[in-house]
Amino acid sequence: MNQRIRALLQKELIEVARHKSSLLPIVLVGVYCLLLPFVLTIVLPRVTGDRLGEDPDFVNVAGRSFGMYPHLSADGRVQTFFFQQFLLVFLVVPVSVAMSAAAHAVVGEKEARTMEPLLATPLTTAELLVAKVLGALLPAVIVSAPGLLLYLASIAVFAEPGVFQTMMTMRSAATVVLLGPGLALIALQLTVLIASRVQEEDTARQLAILSLLPLGGIIFAQFTGRVWLSAAALAAAGVGLIGVWLLLLVLSVAVFDRDAVLTRWR
Amino acid sequence: MIAASHLTRQFGTRVVVDDVSLTVGRGELVALLGPNGAGKTTTMRMLAGLIRPTRGAAAIDGVELTERNGSRLRRRIGFLTEAPGLWDRLTVRENLEIYARLYDVARPSAAVDALLSQLGLSEHASMRSAELSKGMKQKVALARALVHDPDIVLLDEPTAGLDPEIAKHVRDLLEERRAAGCALLVSTHNLDEAERIADRVAVIQHRLLAFDHPDALRRRFARGRVRVRVAGEASRFLAIARSFDREASAHGAALTLQLADAEAQTSGLVRQLVSAGADVVEVSHERAGLEDVYLHFVKPDPEGVSA
Repeated sequence: MNQRIRALLQKELIEVARHKSSLLPIVLVGVYCLLLPFVLTIVLPRVTGDRLGEDPDFVNVAGRSFGMYPHLSADGRVQTFFFQQFLLVFLVVPVSVAMSAAAHAVVGEKEARTMEPLLATPLTTAELLVAKVLGALLPAVIVSAPGLLLYLASIAVFAEPGVFQTMMTMRSAATVVLLGPGLALIALQLTVLIASRVQEEDTARQLAILSLLPLGGIIFAQFTGRVWLSAAALAAAGVGLIGVWLLLLVLSVAVFDRDAVLTRWR
Repeated sequence: MIAASHLTRQFGTRVVVDDVSLTVGRGELVALLGPNGAGKTTTMRMLAGLIRPTRGAAAIDGVELTERNGSRLRRRIGFLTEAPGLWDRLTVRENLEIYARLYDVARPSAAVDALLSQLGLSEHASMRSAELSKGMKQKVALARALVHDPDIVLLDEPTAGLDPEIAKHVRDLLEERRAAGCALLVSTHNLDEAERIADRVAVIQHRLLAFDHPDALRRRFARGRVRVRVAGEASRFLAIARSFDREASAHGAALTLQLADAEAQTSGLVRQLVSAGADVVEVSHERAGLEDVYLHFVKPDPEGVSA
């Protein structure tokens, strides 16, 4: 990463650190995503006395993965399925909140009249946009990382015996290392791309969230058991998503019109 | 060092800058004068490589500013924008250090320390920009424009809204930069300031209306009014004065007359007065000020919008 990207990234991180309340939505969504699978798979069965592995709906949803873990109890198999699905949600949902920060990072600079001096520097458009994406991504990662550790630790403590070990697979690693960052980069790059073409932060945010609907569809299909991606498929998808991000970055640079940013935005 | 060649910029059908050509050389300070909406900011933005000209070009040392070489050439330019545009949540030092790194300064902290000291900002280094007064913000923005020691400095109204002490400090700094060989283009509404600091003055109202040394401009618009003080009663020599100007008048020891070409005719007038026995004590030309020059060129602009 070159000095100019690091410099602008540092500025973004200082601003977040001085405006901690901007992280609150990420924290709240993270906590919600952290609690939900445990409430669903551990708390509710204990309160109601129902067994997960005997619930035909859960067994049906867990579908294809159900037979993959013969060493686990029936409850453990359903828990494994849900914890794996929520891992993806846990990684992606906070990023959707970070999209606000990404939109603000571009439109906010213009509104505060800080964009012009920035564009007067040798900073290239690609450097500017990469710094803006990373500036929105890193706080989300920093906030989510302890949550992820807590998520895994809670599985180790509260889930059925063997579930944690079963979770520690290449599939989970591909989800955490490739799929999550890939989806995050695409979501944030899309937001920055849109934010550089519109004049209002709200418009940028709404259009970007709209563009993520297909992603929501994939997550929903996973949840309902209609799609079950193997570790290799997840890894390939992750690498593919990072490739898509690079293409989006090139597109963002091409459509970022410095002239229009300074003369048409009012 | 930096040159505008037939720079033209249109917004839709509105021509904001029309065929402006000017140059600023090494160690030269050019003042850009014009009313609000005359195209000063747009001209500066084109020269800084921030926006594209519709026609014409901006060039640095003969190299045309384009999108391809913009990043490299912008490193040589320090641009003070119309609004200070500081990051409010960052301190003065953080603002400057980040810009120093954006300009690829080798030792950002040292460069910022030196500049803070030079501008008398050291005491404010740890203050957040949001806490600064308008004048201090302007000063920090000026520091930001100079943090990479550029050889071309474009300043959009650097002393606007500053108290006289800070404005003086800014002018001194500009003098230093000029002495160091920088090319400076400074837009201002302050005619007195332009008169004091500028080597050349460009008057712009969409088109370039005048571009010359302040003295040359003043001479061009001198009203030709001459006052001659003689020993004793001046009315004795009124007939001679009226041979030059039929409206000439005498009051006490002073003759006052209007000459069509004061530079050329004054010596002849004095010669005739002396031949007629006058003891000429003093001859003074009433000089046109830069304000007269400016008002001569600039007409009210019905559009009057920011440009």
